[in-house]
Amino acid sequence: MEDQNQESSDPVVALSLCDSTPLLWRAQDLRTVRSQSVVGALLGSLPRAPRQNLKLGRPLLLLPEEERLLRERHAAAFPPRNQDVERAEFQQQYEEEQQRSFEEQSVFALEDRKSALQRAMTSSQSALQRRLLDLDQNFTFPRSALAIQLSTTRAGLNYCPEARAFLQLDWPIRDQGNAQFDTRYLVFRDLWGRGFFLTSAGKFGGDFLVYPGDPLRFHAHFIAICLSLDEPVSLLDILAAARLGCNVKKTVLLCSPAPNGPVHYTSVQWSGMV
Amino acid sequence: MAEVMDGTKKRGETEPPNWILQHPVMKELEVGDSTQLHAAFLVFMDLTEVRQWTKVTYAESPELQLVLLEAKEKDGGPVQTVLPLPVHRSLSHRSIRHLLDRGFPLLLCAVASDSTLVYQRMTDGLVTPEPPVGLFHDAGRRQKQRRRKQ
Repeated sequence: MEDQNQESSDPVVALSLCDSTPLLWRAQDLRTVRSQSVVGALLGSLPRAPRQNLKLGRPLLLLPEEERLLRERHAAAFPPRNQDVERAEFQQQYEEEQQRSFEEQSVFALEDRKSALQRAMTSSQSALQRRLLDLDQNFTFPRSALAIQLSTTRAGLNYCPEARAFLQLDWPIRDQGNAQFDTRYLVFRDLWGRGFFLTSAGKFGGDFLVYPGDPLRFHAHFIAICLSLDEPVSLLDILAAARLGCNVKKTVLLCSPAPNGPVHYTSVQWSGMV
Repeated sequence: MAEVMDGTKKRGETEPPNWILQHPVMKELEVGDSTQLHAAFLVFMDLTEVRQWTKVTYAESPELQLVLLEAKEKDGGPVQTVLPLPVHRSLSHRSIRHLLDRGFPLLLCAVASDSTLVYQRMTDGLVTPEPPVGLFHDAGRRQKQRRRKQ
């Protein structure tokens, strides 16, 4: 718990942006942020179990609050965007791989062809024997028959430059201040600083689900609802949230950051008075 | 239900529902509009007559312009603040903090238009919920066991 407040000594994690959505791709990055109590949400389809939603794979989607927290602690950063250099490197790498693959496949294709001819020869058929001798000199493996292998373990999104420019159109909007976002972020940071793990609480009508430890080991204790201190809340909404909390055995937490720093928490529970 | 205001009477008293506001204790309250006072009265009756709480008294919050109740569940128990509020009202977190600052456990009582009452406990800080009671039954496993028995 001590390093919650210090800057992390773990390697800096590389953030990828898809439009304005922050994603993490590398497995080691996911492990790093998990060790810093940031959970995120997996989005990707697993190749061997594609048509289900229970077990998902990379990339990891970060909440806006998680991304901001990691960036402020210098635990995550955007990799440098020198597109042209990257593209040229990738292109060269790809072409070299293709050439190597082609040469290997030519050798195998020749071997295959020879053994096919040998199997076809039942006796010393002179026509076939001549073809076999010719093969070594005249065999060419056509480029169109090349089997192309694409490595999918390469991390990052390698869009072509036109697509990338399109995806970055909304970039300026990300940095705009937003009072509601600030409220949520201050609550997130405070609860995270106390050692809780937080995930989004869409299924429960709240802002965050608060776990006392790793979500894989614990049930959530709280449904956090972030409000500003003066925002009027309809009593019906408080009742609905409290009732839901009671049914799922979680306490509803009303959270408001005070202007001078501390965050005020009020627990709402059913009184038990039927 | 028109309220007739004239010099001699504090509040209109021509229609039956206003008899509640004629009660000597209710008459003395200076804050709270008539719906909130009505809600307070219903909670007062619930706590005193139905639940038999003791030392139930009205209190006022001038800052919030609301009527409150203070009561003890039993003799010797702690005094609690009860906020009776009609269900269509809204409340700010700041007001809730203000009431918590009074130093007593706080109960919010929401009063519906049909006089249904629901009490919610509001506490400062993070109150861990009760853990689920009883053995953990995996519903899927039970179904499989049933199938195997067949």
